[in-house]
Amino acid sequence: MSVSARLGILFLAPALIFVTLFFFAPVVLTGVFSFTNMSTATGITGGAYQVTSNVLRQLADEGFEKSTLDRLGAKSYVVSAQALVVATTEGVVDKAVLVELESKHLGKTYQSRRDFERFLKKLKNRPRSTRDLKKISPYFRASLMGQRFESEEVLFAMLASLDLGLPDPQMRHVARASYTGWVWGTGNFKRMFSLGDNLRVLRNTGIYVVATLLLFNTGFALVLAIATFYLPGRHSAFFRGLWLLPRITPPVLYVLLWKWLAWDTGFINTILANFDIQSRNWMLDTGANAWLFVVLINGFVGASMGMIIFASAIKAIPQTMLHASEVDGANRWQQIRHIILPQIKWPIMFITVYQTLSLLTSFEYIWLSTDGGPGTSTEVWALAAFHAALDNYWGNLQYGYGAALALVLVVIGVVMSLIYLRLFNFDALITRPRIEQ
Amino acid sequence: MEIVVKGFTKHFGDTAVIENMNLTVKDGEMLALLGPSGCGKSTTLFAICGIHKMDAGQVLFGDRDVTHVPAQQRNVGMVFQSYALYPHMTVFQNIAFPLTVRRESKVDIKRKVMEIADLVYIGELLERRPAQLSGGQQQRVSLARALIRRPGVLMLDEPLANLDARLRLEMRSELRRIQQETGIAAILVTHDQVEAMSICDRIAIMDQGKILQIATPAEMYQRPVNSFVAGFLGDPPISFLDGVVRQGILVLQGDADDTIPLPEHISGQPDGKVLRLGVRPEHYQPHFPTKVKGAVVFVEMQGREILFDVKLSNGDLLRSVQAASSQFKLGDTVEWGVDPAQILVFDDHGTRL
Repeated sequence: MSVSARLGILFLAPALIFVTLFFFAPVVLTGVFSFTNMSTATGITGGAYQVTSNVLRQLADEGFEKSTLDRLGAKSYVVSAQALVVATTEGVVDKAVLVELESKHLGKTYQSRRDFERFLKKLKNRPRSTRDLKKISPYFRASLMGQRFESEEVLFAMLASLDLGLPDPQMRHVARASYTGWVWGTGNFKRMFSLGDNLRVLRNTGIYVVATLLLFNTGFALVLAIATFYLPGRHSAFFRGLWLLPRITPPVLYVLLWKWLAWDTGFINTILANFDIQSRNWMLDTGANAWLFVVLINGFVGASMGMIIFASAIKAIPQTMLHASEVDGANRWQQIRHIILPQIKWPIMFITVYQTLSLLTSFEYIWLSTDGGPGTSTEVWALAAFHAALDNYWGNLQYGYGAALALVLVVIGVVMSLIYLRLFNFDALITRPRIEQ
Repeated sequence: MEIVVKGFTKHFGDTAVIENMNLTVKDGEMLALLGPSGCGKSTTLFAICGIHKMDAGQVLFGDRDVTHVPAQQRNVGMVFQSYALYPHMTVFQNIAFPLTVRRESKVDIKRKVMEIADLVYIGELLERRPAQLSGGQQQRVSLARALIRRPGVLMLDEPLANLDARLRLEMRSELRRIQQETGIAAILVTHDQVEAMSICDRIAIMDQGKILQIATPAEMYQRPVNSFVAGFLGDPPISFLDGVVRQGILVLQGDADDTIPLPEHISGQPDGKVLRLGVRPEHYQPHFPTKVKGAVVFVEMQGREILFDVKLSNGDLLRSVQAASSQFKLGDTVEWGVDPAQILVFDDHGTRL
């Protein structure tokens, strides 16, 4: 390897590190997470085994025999050495009864508290008062329910001690059901495709991308670029500068201004109050209004990039070609249609591609303005993924499910990029560098 | 159609590029606007076709005052130096463009394009795109596009400048042929005097925004109004000798020994007057009578002819073009003669006497 090639790698290294850290790693992790059921409940580290009433209900649904479940869920009372030690140290006043239990009755089991207490009453050294007697029994309660087992083996040992007579597969089934950590699986995808809501979110995404793209990011950008092209220099610079403002305004402030414009005591209502129109939140009033605002908010920001690219592309058209078309008799409109638009075909393609992909994944302005509302009428895919994984109303953040949703965007993005690359043959636009090694 | 430009003035910022220019292009003639780069010839062309506005003055196409008519409605055809073909259209679409924007019927367009394509010999190229054409072919397409509407005037802005030498010769005569066949008045902007002289009916020579002389090529060559025109026309160029009049004889500067008698039509010049003589290479030959002595310092074989540079004793140069059979060599001392009848004499302002 030549010195310059090594130097090249050295210079590239920071970029490679950052791309790896902030692009490849997240994409890979998204892929990995999407095949887990990670959530706030499971945590992202390991878990333990805990049979709860939910687990029992789930097992019942999965066809476990009721008698087995009853025994799993039963609260039994066992005279065990361990319980005796605890009872002794925690200070059961009547030590004699404990001594008697240890010497004569070690290992006895009772199915209910009533049975156990009836047994206690028959002891020789039984406590004098019923109150004392009742204080003893909790120490000897032995139940699977609510106990945490750090590993499968401990759980199995416990199950065995209950003498349930469960075959191995069923034991494993119980272990799986009672595991509190995350596990691998394709459940997220099954859930994603089965939820009707997602279809709506998908449709919303389509509306959002297509409307913003056509109306603003390319459409209005083209109008601005062409209009400013025909304006005298200073004016065109002014208007372009004006349309750059939304882009350079901090997003939160920018959306806040829109909200202020639309909310109940905002600008629109203040004006309309003069015409006796009922004040309301125009942004979240109806789904259609919400869409109007979402597209406007995104479009005013998005138009500036297309405007700059198109404007410079138009400026790059040889002046003589425009002169020629004028001499040939083309009016402004014909000049735009026959000369300018065909000449900036590639920039238009580029902006369309670029903005499709960036709109697909961008949700910050929707999040800040409507947050997908009213209802889910402006919930787009990226926002849904964000909601599922990181901003869940119910508090249980579903990292795994959110990752699965996000993975769909990654796949769509990659597939669309490939299609665009083939369709528009961007390779043809790249001139091979003249410098050779 | 006669084109008349009256009192044309053009400023870019504070600098006046053209001040009060008058020009007439007669019907059916080909006129060259000749001058060095930056002399304002393209500016004039753009003003006539309407791409640039005039700051003052008038343009008349025949009886019609088009001063305030936009370029789209002036019905001029223009060939640009870069041809300015539309790269996204086929040759057919390029040529048809002026008709397309006028919404002529498809059948008419097709017929007219075929006609004009035959005229400029590009009938086989109609389906290609400009990028697939050679320079000469692009030139023809551009010409076809300019001519298809039967324009009132044809504008040619340095149309041959981007062609290689051989193609330039070919296209030069093609331009002339097509212009003559169509009979359309044409204005050719060029800085190449050979181009202007060889194909134009008249030449308007410009310098620093002014037209110095409008004349036929022959007249301009033989009777230039001043030393600039004399120096601009002719290849190899004219040689100038500066000197002072002494008793009807011009004593060359620097060396009192070299003298040239003034031609007969320049008489009565007072002693001490500074004059400049212009001698064209074909008028400095071994057999002419008024001998001037010098040394051959440069020989250039051009095939049919040989070009000699002869250095006089005062350091001035005289050029001579002789038949290739000429036997003189580099370093020879020669005493060739100047044709007195053909000497051009200019005063100290450069005006020809």
